[in-house]
Amino acid sequence: MNPDELAPLVRQAQRGDTLAMNDLLDALAPYVGRICAPIALGHGPDAAQEALIVIFKSLKHLRAPEALLAWARTIAVREAVRIANDRRTVPAELADLPQAGDPQLETDIADVLRRLSPEHRAILVLRDQEGYSETEAAALLAIEVGTVKSRLHRARRSFQKVWSA
Amino acid sequence: MNQHWPVAEPDAVARLHALAAGVRGASVTEGVVDAPYARVWAHLADLEKGFGDVEPDMRRFTVLSNENGRLEALAVSRYGMRARLRGTLRPGWCWLQSRFLLIGVAAAPDGPERTRVAFTGGVRVPGRAALIPLGVKQSGRRSLRLLQRRMQG
Repeated sequence: MNPDELAPLVRQAQRGDTLAMNDLLDALAPYVGRICAPIALGHGPDAAQEALIVIFKSLKHLRAPEALLAWARTIAVREAVRIANDRRTVPAELADLPQAGDPQLETDIADVLRRLSPEHRAILVLRDQEGYSETEAAALLAIEVGTVKSRLHRARRSFQKVWSA
Repeated sequence: MNQHWPVAEPDAVARLHALAAGVRGASVTEGVVDAPYARVWAHLADLEKGFGDVEPDMRRFTVLSNENGRLEALAVSRYGMRARLRGTLRPGWCWLQSRFLLIGVAAAPDGPERTRVAFTGGVRVPGRAALIPLGVKQSGRRSLRLLQRRMQG
């Protein structure tokens, strides 16, 4: 997705062109889905739908069309965390994280994600997929960075074998 | 991006809810039809014949051009009003607008024998992402009912 190509579509959509909205939906749906899935896991499609609803309801208020992706990303992360928390049945315990070297990690990254809280999953997504610093990611989620940093370090180390595979 | 991360994409029906959320006054009618997706969509995507079955206000629908799913069509209502529609038609998805009209239809498989279908649209506030809020819910419900009846026949 090229932000320079999306900005004119945003302006057209804000003027009421629903075909431009349709094109924006085509561009944003995969992006929002990629952010929501690792955070909301099994509820990823619902989270992506909710995020897209918020995005299209609020699009007319977006003042800087060039900032579409960052704006959509923030909404997607927040909706995914909200839905994951609303529907969570088993409290996440980071203490249960497998140690680095556990062969299980090589087979099921989703299982590792399930062992993290939605907020921690969100920080991992922002940090490692979207290139945020931990401080920026924690700020976006209104979480104290100091309290999560060490745990995330361990979680990320657990992923390294899978990522480098 | 790593290929092992889970991904999720909302299906066409979920997308229709999202897009309609940006259209003031729009209402989405969603339901399940007891027929396989391929059969349901073949009927709906036949805009010149099948679509008129579920949208009885439409007297005639003529596709003027269709290039890679980018469609131009002429619709004539039973009251004689004409609308030149432009938009997208692809498997599971139809989104068309004219200055005065908006049509949105989506379908997604619900198992091998059933199909989730959603309708939205109505009379557009000229040039705006807004519908005149008259009869939009009734129209969607009627289209769904007619489609279900048609698929049973």
